[in-house]
Amino acid sequence: MCSNGVGHLPRSEPLRFSFLHSTRLENPPQFVSFRFRPGPAIRSSLNDTISERPAMSFYELLGIPETGSFVEIKQAYKQLARKYHPDVSPPGRVEEYTQRFIRVQEAYETLSDPRRRAFYDRDMANGVHLAFTARRRTKFDEQTEEKSEWKSRWQSQLSELKRKSMQKDSDDNMSWGARMRRERNQSS
Amino acid sequence: MAEPAYLVASDSETTAEEKSSSPFPDIAIGIDIGTSQCSVAVWGGSQVELLRNTRNQKLMRSYVTFKDEIPAGGVSNQLAHEYEMLSGAAIFNMKRLIGRVDTDPVVHASKSLPFLVQTLNIGVRPFIAALVKNMWRSTTPEEVLAIFLVELRAMAELQLKRPVRNVVLTIPVSFSRFQITRIERACAMAGLQVLRLMPEPTAVALLYAQQQQQNVHENMGSGSEKIALIFNMGAGFCDVAVSATAGGVSQIKALAGTALGGEDILLNMMRHLLPDMDSHFSTRGIDEIRRMGLLRVATQDAIHKLSAQSNVQIDVDLGNGRKISKALGREEFEDVNREIFEKCESLIKQCLHDAKVEVEDVSDVILVGGCSNIPKLRNIITGVCKREIYNGINPLEAAVRGAALEGAVASGVNDPFGSLDLLTIQATPLSIGVRADGNSFVPIIHQNTTMPVRRDVIFTTVHDNQAEALIIVYEGDEKAVEKNHLLGYFKITGIPPAPKGVPEINVCMDIDASNVLRVFAGVVMPGVQNPAAPVMEVRMPTVDDGHGWCAEALNRTYGSTLDLVTVQKKGAH
Repeated sequence: MCSNGVGHLPRSEPLRFSFLHSTRLENPPQFVSFRFRPGPAIRSSLNDTISERPAMSFYELLGIPETGSFVEIKQAYKQLARKYHPDVSPPGRVEEYTQRFIRVQEAYETLSDPRRRAFYDRDMANGVHLAFTARRRTKFDEQTEEKSEWKSRWQSQLSELKRKSMQKDSDDNMSWGARMRRERNQSS
Repeated sequence: MAEPAYLVASDSETTAEEKSSSPFPDIAIGIDIGTSQCSVAVWGGSQVELLRNTRNQKLMRSYVTFKDEIPAGGVSNQLAHEYEMLSGAAIFNMKRLIGRVDTDPVVHASKSLPFLVQTLNIGVRPFIAALVKNMWRSTTPEEVLAIFLVELRAMAELQLKRPVRNVVLTIPVSFSRFQITRIERACAMAGLQVLRLMPEPTAVALLYAQQQQQNVHENMGSGSEKIALIFNMGAGFCDVAVSATAGGVSQIKALAGTALGGEDILLNMMRHLLPDMDSHFSTRGIDEIRRMGLLRVATQDAIHKLSAQSNVQIDVDLGNGRKISKALGREEFEDVNREIFEKCESLIKQCLHDAKVEVEDVSDVILVGGCSNIPKLRNIITGVCKREIYNGINPLEAAVRGAALEGAVASGVNDPFGSLDLLTIQATPLSIGVRADGNSFVPIIHQNTTMPVRRDVIFTTVHDNQAEALIIVYEGDEKAVEKNHLLGYFKITGIPPAPKGVPEINVCMDIDASNVLRVFAGVVMPGVQNPAAPVMEVRMPTVDDGHGWCAEALNRTYGSTLDLVTVQKKGAH
C-alpha cells in the first residue's frame, strides 16, 4: 500500500495544495518531515483553482439525472465508491483514486442532504459555474444553522443579496465552492 | 500504515518482490488484541479461519510474564493456575496503558492491577514493572505488546507455513493518533507491518456487510441498504458504530467510544467488596499482590456467574485475618455499576444522533465483546434500539474475523464467489484541529468525516506585524483545547509585516488512503499572487513520549493566550 502513494502521475483535476505532492518516497521513515517548497502560484492553488477545473456538475459526477431520487443518489455513490475508493485502486494509482473518491464524496454529501441540495440546485439554475471544490460548507456552519433555523433563513437571504451583487461584477468562472466560501467569509 | 516509524532488521531480508512467488501472496492476517484476550484470523481461500495455538485455543490471554529470564506471553505459555497470572510477574492490560501519561485517569485506575504502576502526575509515562525474583523489572506497554506479538507471529507462521509480515489490527474507537503510533511501534518491534488499523466496531460492520451480501446472493435478503448499530464492550473499551451497508459496501456513518470496560466493572466490584482496598494493597509486597489477585479472581468469577444467575455467594480468604463472605445480587451489581451503564446508554444515543439515524431505521443491532453477556447491557441496548439483538455473529470472534476480511481485501485477494467484493468506507473517530482564538480548539476535520479527506480553514494574525504563528494540532472533541490529545506543533515564520487580521494563514489537513495525517500551512497576503512564506507540510503526530508535559511547557512558556504567536479564525472577531 505504502509504496503506491506516489504523486507524480499526471493529474487532470488537481486539488488545492496538490502542488505540494511530489514523490512521497523521498520521505525518510521518521515521524516528522518538514518540507519547504517554493510554491509557484500559491494564490490560485491555495484559494481557488477554478480555471483548470472541468465543468462537471455533481449530478454528472454521480451519473444520475437532476431529478434523481435519494435512493438513486445513494446507489450511485456506493457504486462509485466501489470503483474509486483508494482501497480498491490499482497499484500505483492510489493518489489519483483518492482524489476521485473525495470528489464523489462531496457530490454525495451535497446531494444527499435536502437543504444543501436545494442550495446547490438553485445555484445551478442561476447558471453558476459548478465546478468541484475540495472545500464544502463546514459542519460548523451547518450546526449553527441547525440550531437556529431563523438564522439560516436570514443567512440565505443575505447570501442571495450578495450573490446578486456579486453576479454583476463577477467573473462567471467562479466555482460553486468558491462562491460559498466567499459568502461565508463575507457574512461571518 | 504507509511509513512505519522505523523498520526492523528483517525488513531488508524479505521484500515484496520475493514474496510474490508463493501461491498465496502475503495475505495480511487479522489480529484482535484485546485488553484481556487476543485472537488471530486469516482468509483461508473461501472463508475466514481463526488460528489456534498449540493448546488448541482460539482465544488467548493477553499477558506477558517475566518470571524467567526469557519473557513468555499468553500465546505459548501455559498457566499452572489463574493465580500465576496475578503473582506480580505478569503484565497485562497493556492495551489500556499504551500511549498514556501518568496524569491519565485510566492509568490511575490501573494502579490496582497486581503489578507495579506508579504515577508522579507530571505528564510522563508511568513507571510499570513486573516483580521478578523479588525485584522490580521495569517495562513499557509497547515492549509487552511487542513480546506478545512476536509469539502471535510465530504461531501464525507455524500454522500458515509462510512468513507473516502484514497485519490488520483492530483498535478502540477512542484511540488517539498518538496511541496508534505506539501500537505501530510495538508491531515494528515484532517485525510486523501494519496494513490497516480498524476501529473494532468497523471490523464487525465489515463482517456484517459480508453476511448481508451473501444473503443477497442466496436470495434471502432484499439487497437494499441496511443500517446496523454495533456496540462493542470488552475489558478495556466501549465502542459504538453506526454503519450503512449495501452491496458489500460498509459505510461508517458515526463512531463513538470511551475507555470504559469490564476492567472498570471489576474494579467497582472489588472496591464494593473491600472498601479500603487501596490502602489495603498500597505496600505492594508479595503478599499484598497475592491477596489482590485472590480478590480479583473471586470478583471476576462472581461477575461471570451473575450473567446467568441472579444471586451469587462470594467467599474469599485474603489472609491476615481478612475474610470476605457476602451474598451478591444482580440488582446490587447493577447499582454499583450504574454510572458505567448510563455512560454506555448515552454513547449509543450519541452515536445514533451523530449518524443522523432514527432508531426506527436501524435494521440490526449487533452486540459484541467480552461484556456482551451482561444482562443489564443487553436490556439497555434492546431498550434504546427497540429491537432484539442480532444473533448471526459470534460476539467474541466478530472483530478478528472482520479484520481478516479487511486483510484479504486490502491485500488484493479476489474470491471467485464474490465473498471479498467488500469495501469499508471509514470515518474519522475524533476531530482534528488547531488551537486558535486564544485557548479554543478549532476543528478542521470534524469527527465522523468520511476518509480519505482534505479540509482547510483560513486563520489570521492577532497582532500588528506578527511575523510568526504557532500551529498546535490537537485531536479530540473537547471544547477546552488542553483536554484533547496533542499531536504536534510547528511554527510558520516570515509573515510579512501587516496590520492584524490581514494575512491569510491557510491551514489544511489531509488524511490519505492509508490514514496518514498531513498538515499544511501557508501564508497569503491579500492581492498577492505568490505565497508570502514557504508552505509547510508536516506529518503528524510529531510528539513523542511525555506529550502531556510538552503541552504544559507550551502553556507555561507562551501563556494561556500564546501571546506572540497565536492565530485566530479569519473573520471571527
